[in-house]
Amino acid sequence: MNTATRQERWSGYALLTVMAIAVVIPFLSVFLASLQPAGTPVVGLTWPERWSWDNYEQAWSVAGFSDLIQHSLTIAVGVVPASLVLAALAGYALGTMKLPGGNAVAAFFIAGLTIPVELIVVPLYFDLRGLGLTNSYLGVILVEIALFMPFSVFWMRTHFQSTPPSLVEAARIDGASSATILLRILLPLARPSLMTLGLLVFMWSWNQFLLVLVLIQDTTKHTAPAGLGFFVGQNSTDIPTLAAGTIIVMLPILILFVIFQRSFIAGLLQGAMKG
Amino acid sequence: MERTHRVRRRVAATVCAAALVLPLTACDALTPGSAAAVPGPRSVPSSTAVPDGDTTLRLQFADAPLMVDALIAAFEKGHPNISVEPQYKTFSDYVQNLKLTMTSDTAPDIAQYAVGMTDLAADGHILDLAPYREAYDWDKAIPPVSLDQLTAGQTSEATGGRALFGVPAGLSMTGIYYNKELAKKAGIDGPPKTVAEFEDQLAAAKNADLTPLGVGALDSGGLHLWAALLNQLMPTDDYWDWVNGTKGATIETPAAVTASKMVIDWGRKGYYNDSANGTAQVDSTAQFAKGDSVFLINGNWAAGQLATVMGDNVGFFPMPGEKASAPTVASGFSVSYAVSSRTEHPEAAGAFLDFLTTPEAGQIISDNGFMPPNPDAVKKPEGVLADIAEGHRRAVADDGITTFPDFAAPAMLDRLRSGVQKLIANRIDPSDYLDSLQDEWEEHHAE
Amino acid sequence: MPSRPPVQQPPDVRVRTTEVRVQSQAPRRRSPYRGYVYVLPAFAIYFCFAVLPALHTAYLSLFEWDGVTLGDWVGLGNYQEIFQDSILRRSVLNALVLVVFFSFIPIVVGLAMTGLLARFRRPGMGAYRFLFMLPQVVPLVAVGVTWRWLYGDDGLVNQTFRAVGLDGVTRAWLGDFGAALIAVGLVGTWVLSGLCMMLFLSGVQKVDPSLYEAARLDGAGPVREFVSVTLPHLRGEIAVAMTVTTVAALASFDIVYVTTNGGPGEQTTVPGLLVYRLAFSEGKVGLAAALAVVLGCLILGIVYLINRLSRSES
Repeated sequence: MNTATRQERWSGYALLTVMAIAVVIPFLSVFLASLQPAGTPVVGLTWPERWSWDNYEQAWSVAGFSDLIQHSLTIAVGVVPASLVLAALAGYALGTMKLPGGNAVAAFFIAGLTIPVELIVVPLYFDLRGLGLTNSYLGVILVEIALFMPFSVFWMRTHFQSTPPSLVEAARIDGASSATILLRILLPLARPSLMTLGLLVFMWSWNQFLLVLVLIQDTTKHTAPAGLGFFVGQNSTDIPTLAAGTIIVMLPILILFVIFQRSFIAGLLQGAMKG
Repeated sequence: MERTHRVRRRVAATVCAAALVLPLTACDALTPGSAAAVPGPRSVPSSTAVPDGDTTLRLQFADAPLMVDALIAAFEKGHPNISVEPQYKTFSDYVQNLKLTMTSDTAPDIAQYAVGMTDLAADGHILDLAPYREAYDWDKAIPPVSLDQLTAGQTSEATGGRALFGVPAGLSMTGIYYNKELAKKAGIDGPPKTVAEFEDQLAAAKNADLTPLGVGALDSGGLHLWAALLNQLMPTDDYWDWVNGTKGATIETPAAVTASKMVIDWGRKGYYNDSANGTAQVDSTAQFAKGDSVFLINGNWAAGQLATVMGDNVGFFPMPGEKASAPTVASGFSVSYAVSSRTEHPEAAGAFLDFLTTPEAGQIISDNGFMPPNPDAVKKPEGVLADIAEGHRRAVADDGITTFPDFAAPAMLDRLRSGVQKLIANRIDPSDYLDSLQDEWEEHHAE
Repeated sequence: MPSRPPVQQPPDVRVRTTEVRVQSQAPRRRSPYRGYVYVLPAFAIYFCFAVLPALHTAYLSLFEWDGVTLGDWVGLGNYQEIFQDSILRRSVLNALVLVVFFSFIPIVVGLAMTGLLARFRRPGMGAYRFLFMLPQVVPLVAVGVTWRWLYGDDGLVNQTFRAVGLDGVTRAWLGDFGAALIAVGLVGTWVLSGLCMMLFLSGVQKVDPSLYEAARLDGAGPVREFVSVTLPHLRGEIAVAMTVTTVAALASFDIVYVTTNGGPGEQTTVPGLLVYRLAFSEGKVGLAAALAVVLGCLILGIVYLINRLSRSES
């Protein structure tokens, strides 16, 4: 299968490595900067003489990053399960049942992939404020579920569409109701797809900034990116602490990414493709 | 079969129609907003007695976190049943979010008075403190002129006199800091007495291969510079008229053109730090403290930090006028605090504001590099803090404290910041720049 | 329901199939709409918290409103202002410039890498894949904070230029009128190049290697090979890459907010930032809504165009 010469292979690896370095260096610099003593004006890629983890301690407790992380998790815990359940239900129906107008409804969902956050934040602020849902996690959770619903429904629908119809037919012949078919037969098969979707939704929820900025004014309730956004202005001269804060904000999603690499990448690539 | 088709089509049509109509009915009214949402200014209760029981006040602010922490600590000692929770945001974040914050249901009890507060006051989102001014007799504790800056142009419904929407803690003013060592290197022997002399000093610094003037134009440093020059050239009455929105006032005056030209000129001559437009105020201050420039445009809020780092090496002077005999004019305001109308503890908030006018608070304010409203009540400061106090004293005596230009309209801060960035980079004509400011002004005040 | 055979009966396949066949010809007792029950919750949340607000934005764009007092009907006046006001026009132009950096360059980089690497299967791609996707995974705010630091006067970017002797190129990237938009754009390039690369590399795996053999036997050079064999198979992936990156460019907010806040002047002011600023700190809600609608239409238009083009060619 390998039609490449050895030379081509080595030059290929060299190229890949160069690109990889270009991608990684910013992360590496920030990480190294976070290990320097606090307050030092770190300017570039410098290897710290002494590895001090104090900055993390500082950012975590004093600067309140532990709270920020907690808030992000609270929202994610609200958004992810709900998205999975709703998307699985809708995807199941749109993907396996021949619903009249089903394709139109599916298209209606998919059209939502083009809705940028900016298009909905303005009225959302005023409307949710009237409902008392601003400065509340519930408000953010509901909006995020709605924002991610197009992709989630599309993803699960695609998955369910690929299940062999004979499976569903056989189950129906056996007298199973739609609900039973879903729960007993299809869901276990859908686990990998659900897992990937869960990871993607978690990532998008974690990385939300504008929505949180608008819907939550109470800085003590902010999520990690929003907190970091405000933190940078206050600490632009204390680079190590700022760097530690940045790493803390990235860490949870990075950990998930390391553990679930395959799912993530498959999701990002395939999902984009089928859309 | 046909019947089912027809039924289906009818159902589909109904659903579509409902989907189109629903959004309209979902709107509260056909017109957004509500006429009832302008209750007008609301005032604090006339009684100052703080109810029993534990109260927590939330305080949002953008300046001087150390000073605020110290003030809160001292206040809580004297009022054990009231605790104050500070929330700090950088100035630009604070101002950008101020309207959202103060009109939301979870507005903080106490908020630093900033750009946009005038509108919030007019719409009743912050309380009129005039009754407290009388009840606590603040006019005796601090110079009335500092209170008069916070009237937001309103009359008090409660007292019939001027309204009051904030109480000042530390007074602020902008001016020029200078690095004494570097100044000597450039052959500069002391603060300039006229603008022309200052320009010569900048040229001398440039010739000595030093960066003459540090400006933090990414956020507010640029507009402070422009305002400082404008103050020397434009009659203060005309300037106040413009900021307060008096009918017929304009910024498109020859004085403003000259001030803008000077900003451009100094940029062309290379008097600013290289990346002025990309440097935030905190950064330009830190760089100045490190010795990167001879002069720095900033306000007294940076004095504490500079005094700590540079000690006796730093001095301050207000921007000089055209002639040596000209009155001292400087942009100044106060770090003041307003009370939200959504607070459930107006009396406790009032007690905190009253604490700010006490000599004890004044001492804390002074120790942190700010000027207390009542300088006679505190120990005499030293070093650069003394320079600032002296400059302020002169400005107050000359009736030369003006307010910042961004108070002219909510969107003015963006226009100023972006416009001065262009002046610094010589990318805009003074007339076009002033035109953009005036357009914004007219849009806001034309109602 | 009597039509459902009781489960306890031993399955009699022949009887059952006949029953099923008979049943499928008779009108179904169960309404075919029943399945919509499953769709309803997802649809309800999507409609209420995404679709309705979008429509509401369009509605608000017809008013001049400060967010508090009664609004004034202005019809299409806000849209007029968008075309006439230089700052608003500029923001749209800036967004289009960012499309070049967020979309065009990453796609070219991705295609180039794919062209160079397409011919062979490499072990160890897993590690590379992980690294290339990293920028996609982390919050854009963190990316912005990182690059704001890297672009500093003595930051890594300038340091690198100095190290290779290009001292003249160094400048205050984020404060320089000429360079700020480019600097912000390059951050986007960094974020999205990895994604494009991975998209194309995985897409190219479905190409039959024998096609490459055939091309090589025909005497095709690497460029011709790329154009005639690889590129056609990547049409779908390119369309996807264009869509995702273009939307990211047009709707950008996080990076600009954290690095330049729209400055210097209006050099990096983008519609996303303006919508936020106009609505929430300048009290021009109607204008913000109109700008958001323009942004939404722009995105919709470009996505539609891309889809049309890719479909017509395949």
